[in-house]
Amino acid sequence: MDVEAKRIMALSISKLYSLRTQRGGLKLHRSLLLSMTMRAARDIYHTAQLLRDAEEEQVVPCAPDAAPEEPMEISKDSPQTLTPKEVAMKPQEPKETLEEDKENRCASERHSRKRRGKTALETDFLPLKKAKMETDEEKQHLQGEVLRTNNGNSCRQAETLTAFPTNRTIVAC
Amino acid sequence: MFTRIIRDPASPTEEVSALLCSVAADIISTVEFNSTGELLATGDKGGRVVVFQREQESKNQPHRRGEYNVYSTFQSHEPEFDYLKSLEIEEKINKIRWLPQQNAAYFLLSTNDKTVKLWKISERDKRPEGYNLKDEDGRIRDPATITTLRVPVLQPMDLMVEATPRRVFSNAHTYHINSISVNSDYETFMSTDDLRINLWNLEITNRSFNIVDIKPANMEELTEVITAAEFHPHQCNTFVYSSSKGSIRLCDMRASALCDNHSKFFEEPEDPSNRSFFSEIISSISDVKFSHSGRYLMTRDYLTVKVWDLNMESKPLETYQVHDYLRSKLCSLYENDCIFDKFECVWNGSDSVIMTGSYNNFFRMFDRNTKRDVTLEASRENSKPRAILKPRKVCVGGKRRKDEISVDSLDFSKKIIHTAWHPSENIIAVAATNNLYIFQDKVN
Repeated sequence: MDVEAKRIMALSISKLYSLRTQRGGLKLHRSLLLSMTMRAARDIYHTAQLLRDAEEEQVVPCAPDAAPEEPMEISKDSPQTLTPKEVAMKPQEPKETLEEDKENRCASERHSRKRRGKTALETDFLPLKKAKMETDEEKQHLQGEVLRTNNGNSCRQAETLTAFPTNRTIVAC
Repeated sequence: MFTRIIRDPASPTEEVSALLCSVAADIISTVEFNSTGELLATGDKGGRVVVFQREQESKNQPHRRGEYNVYSTFQSHEPEFDYLKSLEIEEKINKIRWLPQQNAAYFLLSTNDKTVKLWKISERDKRPEGYNLKDEDGRIRDPATITTLRVPVLQPMDLMVEATPRRVFSNAHTYHINSISVNSDYETFMSTDDLRINLWNLEITNRSFNIVDIKPANMEELTEVITAAEFHPHQCNTFVYSSSKGSIRLCDMRASALCDNHSKFFEEPEDPSNRSFFSEIISSISDVKFSHSGRYLMTRDYLTVKVWDLNMESKPLETYQVHDYLRSKLCSLYENDCIFDKFECVWNGSDSVIMTGSYNNFFRMFDRNTKRDVTLEASRENSKPRAILKPRKVCVGGKRRKDEISVDSLDFSKKIIHTAWHPSENIIAVAATNNLYIFQDKVN
């Protein structure tokens, strides 16, 4: 499912970019529909991604016995706490989002892949209607140019001019 | 070229036969009959308007009645460049609407993305001859040679049809105009873009009134746009506008100057079992039309046509599936951009049949009374002289019968977006990319 979601997400992004160069100026209606579809796909993709990361966290503990609770707690909390932060992180170049995902995936591939629970995915399949807040940031990144401070040479998350909370949970080891 | 066909009266279904009219060049972007059906206007992507006129019944050639011939062709809009925004403004004609006829001349409104123009189409078949001060070639006569006075007399000349722009309504829309609608008061009209609707007086071009504005203070909060709007056919204070979220709002201009608050809100709750990535896109309404009676509304979204009763806001009265077999193909249709196609829909004169287009040059008609529907194809092969259009069928799965066409064989580049129905007779105009087909069923 997230393969499909990622494909739709990438497709939507490329369509959005090509809209800008079309004759006649930016078509508001189409760009709105494209961004809504992209957001829905991205939500599915990220949720699936987070679930996978969370499960892999549980599979391989990264800390000594004394503190197995901690990483478990963090990973359990992460789906909830990450989501609003994920939302806040939206104002970025779409390319960055994909790169970030590659980073995450590379990290998680080192762990053994656990089969995802069916129940966890069923509800995720249906695209959720997110609050308007998301639309703000999505539209923002659509309209404004996001300047990267590292000239695009680094794989790190570039700081953007738009402020966002930086204390996101990073999956350890 | 035109071919005339006769209906087979023995056939049970509504028989449609073809009068083929081929218009060269550009992709047709709008089709509209005038209020009597005597004239048919088409607009194209190149900014041209071609007007057809129905031939009058003549005793000498009784069989030639009902054919539409080219009456006038003119360039309505030219490509423009907005220097301030560095944007090119397309010359494509988005909509044409006729004004009701009040004298010998015909008037129509045509619009591109930014500018509405009022065109006057008039005939000239007489010419004054016998001036005193100038001769027939127009050269000034030597006053010394003028010895008598005469009154110029109107002499017949070859019919000339002239189109002149009488009004230009510009600089009122930031976003792209998608609809225009003439009010039943015959004094005003409205133009609609993605976020705003403006009301104009047909005589005044330097001022318009904004009657709907859904632009949010912060554009980042934008969640829906206006996709179409139309005035009520009889109540000059009432109009509707449809949105990209699948809702329709009915507004009363008597309630307030700015009609942001609707009087009625029509929306059908979404079926959760049909939810997908593309639910938003396919629920976006591409066209809205009042019935001639003014009692019903028809809306078109990607897969269905719905008829609403103005007195019932909670759900449509009738829902017709246009091409439900595409529901499983939405992802591919998203890839090839077909999912964004904005199909139009039309009523017949008596509001008993509705029609809309589909792919593979198919178009569909739904009879509201008998609940029967038919799929027809607009193609050159099927439109031979005296040919009756054969109903078509799309095979959804399993065994395909001989005459059926499978979903995977459909040509998605051949789409029928624009159609029109004669106001009183069963004559339809169907635009298939750059060809215009005129069909009618006719008693032998």
